[in-house]
Amino acid sequence: MFETRTIRSRVLLQILLAVIVLPFVFPLIAMVQGSLAGRGWANYQTVLSLPLLPGFFLNSALLSAAVILIVLACTTMAAFGFSKLHIWAKEVYFWMLMVALTLPGVVLLSPLFATVTQIGAFNTLWAVILPVAALQIPFTVLLARNFVDGIPSELIEAARVDGADTIRTFWHVMLPLMKPIMAAVLVLVFINSWNEYLLALLFLQTPEQQTITLVPQFFVGQYNNDQTKVLAAAVLTGLPVVIAYIFLQRFFERGLAAGALK
Amino acid sequence: MTMTASRKAGLTSERRSGRPGRLRRPAGLPWILPAMIVSVGLLYYCIVYTGYISTLDWDGASPLQRPVGADNFARMLGDTVFWRALGNTAAFFVVTLVVQVALGILLACLLHSRLYLKTFHKVLIFVPVVLATATTAPVFREMYAPDGTVNGVLHAVGLGDLAQPWLANGTSALIIVMSVQIWQSTGVVFVLYYAAIGQIDTEVLEAARLDGAANWRIIRSIVWPGVRGTTIAIAILTAIGSLKTFDIPFLVTGGGPSYATEFLGTMIYRVSITFSQAGYGAAISVVLLLLAVGTAIIIRVSSTRKENTDV
Repeated sequence: MFETRTIRSRVLLQILLAVIVLPFVFPLIAMVQGSLAGRGWANYQTVLSLPLLPGFFLNSALLSAAVILIVLACTTMAAFGFSKLHIWAKEVYFWMLMVALTLPGVVLLSPLFATVTQIGAFNTLWAVILPVAALQIPFTVLLARNFVDGIPSELIEAARVDGADTIRTFWHVMLPLMKPIMAAVLVLVFINSWNEYLLALLFLQTPEQQTITLVPQFFVGQYNNDQTKVLAAAVLTGLPVVIAYIFLQRFFERGLAAGALK
Repeated sequence: MTMTASRKAGLTSERRSGRPGRLRRPAGLPWILPAMIVSVGLLYYCIVYTGYISTLDWDGASPLQRPVGADNFARMLGDTVFWRALGNTAAFFVVTLVVQVALGILLACLLHSRLYLKTFHKVLIFVPVVLATATTAPVFREMYAPDGTVNGVLHAVGLGDLAQPWLANGTSALIIVMSVQIWQSTGVVFVLYYAAIGQIDTEVLEAARLDGAANWRIIRSIVWPGVRGTTIAIAILTAIGSLKTFDIPFLVTGGGPSYATEFLGTMIYRVSITFSQAGYGAAISVVLLLLAVGTAIIIRVSSTRKENTDV
């Protein structure tokens, strides 16, 4: 893109890039540095020796797994239906979904709170799983539908001519072709559900049910606002998503671009 | 090559299947039902319920509900905090959009150039996207604290006079909330631009280069018009994101000092949960929802109209 033929321009651009990226790294450095202040690695030992910690991680993992399963199942089926099957007034349904795309989660507070307490789901993971999944589906369906639109309909028709019913066509023809967008949806939904804060804060009241986004708060209460331990806990809770992102980086960017461009 | 070929094939087949007598597409309603039930069902139920609650005087839990008509909406119009929150949202939208678009395009162009350590830099820009605000908020609170990192750096380089309690000043607190948002979502904007710029014809770029166009000129005359669709998509995402803003002000500044960083989201939480005025909170929610849908429609419509007159 930019001229890099002379050494001077190349060096200048390389420096410009580093200068722009630096502010993005600074808070991360401050985070790691702060977590090692005072007693050094002993901060991490204190955090890791907390008996409740595995529970926080397990709850977040369960929450993410359940949301991913629900969203992936709903999204792949809906993308297939919207893109390749006959539905009367299809676009009306699609636009109903797209309106939900703009919905801020905080709007759900009062009605969800009233409903959840009424049906006795308060302080259970389900009170968070279903709304989080519901809020993700509009966007993932938009991404996946765009992707499936690019798959030639001939493949579907060929499968039908060969005698496959819709279910077999979906399972044996569509799903294998949708792998790239499924990977992107998976990473996206994992990050969003692992990071969910508001609904977890509202509906999960006891430490046994809470997720890792509530850990910093737990430490503020438990260790009288000892910043070094709060930051050590923050580093530990951030690690899984950073690792997941680094390993799945290619899928993520390719899928996001494929879905969003078109 | 193969992509365009297959897409063309897809188009002709679609036209063919539209003709009578050919294979009819099988019924698809059952396939979209799970998504419609989980998403549309749950969310629309909540929207209707919110609309109902907004006409009540209710604390959100007790069986005592008193219908009050439009009183909650009338109260909102006279509430200075509500207008403050709206103003903050507008400022937040403009600043974060401009900065993110500029940074996103610049970074995308830089990383499409022949430079070293490109993947390394890409990962660094994107790491803030994947971290939860709940995880990073303690760092920002520590950084801008009176005895925090930022003041420490200022003292170290001899600018100690500039040191101040950053989060206690309304203006600087709002700027900090914006900067955290920019820090967190520039990665997404960058990835979208990176993909869009990858689709610009390299021959056009080469030709411009041969004609002696400078880097700035190439961005303005080739890249900027070439990524117009992406910019519109980003404007919609940022507008809706600004209206949804909750985590950052809630966790970094708590909406303060004295409502300087209050947004509609934090206001709804404070009113409905902290003050137990579910009715009033629901009224603000209804307005927030209308604003979100309205903004998306306005940007969509105005951008397509402009596109038509351009042609």
